[in-house]
Amino acid sequence: MRAFGNRTLVTALAMSVLAFLYAPILVMMVFSFNDSQYTGLPFNGFTLRWYGELFSDNQMLMSIWNSIFVGIGVVAISVLFGLPAAIALDRYEFPGKGLFRRIVMLPIVLPGIITGVALLSFYLTIHLRLSLYTIMLGQGTALMCITITEVFARLQQLGKSQAEAAANLGANDWEIFRQVTLPGIRSALFGAMLIAFSISFDEIAVTFLLTGRENTLPMTLWSLLRREVTPEVNAVATLVVFLSIILIVAGMYSSRGHANEREA
Amino acid sequence: MTTIERAVEPARTSIRSARAIERRRLLLWLLPPMAWFTVFMLIPYAMLLYTSLGHVDDMRFIPGLSLDNFVRVFTVDPYLGVIIKSARIGLMTAVLSSVVAYPLAFYLAFHVRTQRLKFLIYLLVIVPWWASYLVKAYAWKTILGSGGILNVGLQELGFVHEPVRLFLYNEFSVVMTLTYIFTPFAVLSIYAQLERVPTSLIEAARNLGADGWMIFRRIILPISVPGIVAGAIITFSLAFGDFVAPVLVGGPDSVMISNVVINLLGVAFDWPLAAAIGLVIITLGLLLISASGWLEEKTQTRF
Repeated sequence: MRAFGNRTLVTALAMSVLAFLYAPILVMMVFSFNDSQYTGLPFNGFTLRWYGELFSDNQMLMSIWNSIFVGIGVVAISVLFGLPAAIALDRYEFPGKGLFRRIVMLPIVLPGIITGVALLSFYLTIHLRLSLYTIMLGQGTALMCITITEVFARLQQLGKSQAEAAANLGANDWEIFRQVTLPGIRSALFGAMLIAFSISFDEIAVTFLLTGRENTLPMTLWSLLRREVTPEVNAVATLVVFLSIILIVAGMYSSRGHANEREA
Repeated sequence: MTTIERAVEPARTSIRSARAIERRRLLLWLLPPMAWFTVFMLIPYAMLLYTSLGHVDDMRFIPGLSLDNFVRVFTVDPYLGVIIKSARIGLMTAVLSSVVAYPLAFYLAFHVRTQRLKFLIYLLVIVPWWASYLVKAYAWKTILGSGGILNVGLQELGFVHEPVRLFLYNEFSVVMTLTYIFTPFAVLSIYAQLERVPTSLIEAARNLGADGWMIFRRIILPISVPGIVAGAIITFSLAFGDFVAPVLVGGPDSVMISNVVINLLGVAFDWPLAAAIGLVIITLGLLLISASGWLEEKTQTRF
């Protein structure tokens, strides 16, 4: 038996934490259907007006697309550059390895604004015009360490014996990578991609200084929330939550499928 | 060359060439990320350093070699004070998130019986992530405000007769909102650590006559330390650098370091001072990473 302690107490505490996590989300969802100009009591009645406004608000829809576009770019960057970094850290000893690890981890502990300031002064010097791509490069740098740490942890768990066995059987580097390493880390890599995308989709601090004319969703919401607040923001956030639940469930089931294949 | 040496020679050459191949493979993996971090981190940081050594005169940047800006960070109000206050808010957030997260992580690791339920609860922990940070922070405003749900509820129940204004626009609401936003990170980090505890360890303790509280205090809590530390480092860092909560739910005196930097860039146009603050924080960040690595190593249990 794994369970110990007072079951009722533990369950009650856990449920109250979940209630805490969902209170504002419930508020947000309920008020996205409230027939009132303001987000707040009283509840005047049910309406789908805010969703209607959302779907006719081109700026809002455009910024959702921009966020998806940036998120995909960030995931691509963090896989293309983070995966090799994790493999290098796992397999080899090299001078400056400790420093390299620290530098890679740095953006996650730094305030996003500081990463933003550093990159902005770099962009200004090389006369790079601010756009969605400059946001992508900034977020990619900031979020790469997620891929590196997740994949690195999995590689350490897997150990080297399988890759060595494959090498002894005559597999070349590419075959080892493609048929031994990649299947072993697939679910960790997938998880890291999901996390990187979700953080990118909601990222404010790094994006704040690197935004050009096109806005991502959080930037559009930010400017809305600072001026007049319409329940449209609640509608948009509710919509994103539902889409993401579908996405996460689908993703988790498919990565679980892979895990089962490996065990079989 | 003796016969033995002659016999060993081919092996030596092949070891040497194997090393050369290994080195080439290392470079293949290491060069792309190294190039990336050089271009997008080290060079920008070097530029921060260059900027921080100069000063601004009449809206124009004048390069220089002066440490004045660093002296200003540490001696002129409010910069050092704001850094310390941000760290305090970060620390409170980290402690509160760990406390709030622990029961849920514990429940998830020890009391959920079926895989299906575990998956569901895990999902429930990460879904709040996807609701926009800004909208969630704004929702707290709706809950805590003077016409908000909490106040209306308290008045309906007759606990208070006037709306309580202490809930919003102060450091309490900032810490509360940040704790709320970052708690899922702490849950996942503590849960990952608790999941490693072998069931046999708990059974052994029980067979030796330990009750639930004793198992928790003597075995589980010490084992959870690295998970708590890892979660606390993340929540501390995210809260320390936050600038949204102070604007949305904070009061006039809840400005944090990121807000100060934004003001220096946009309003005061003092890039050199902002760069100096950035470098001070980068140094603190490197120290934090080293400290956390050491701490996690020290407290990690091997099974």
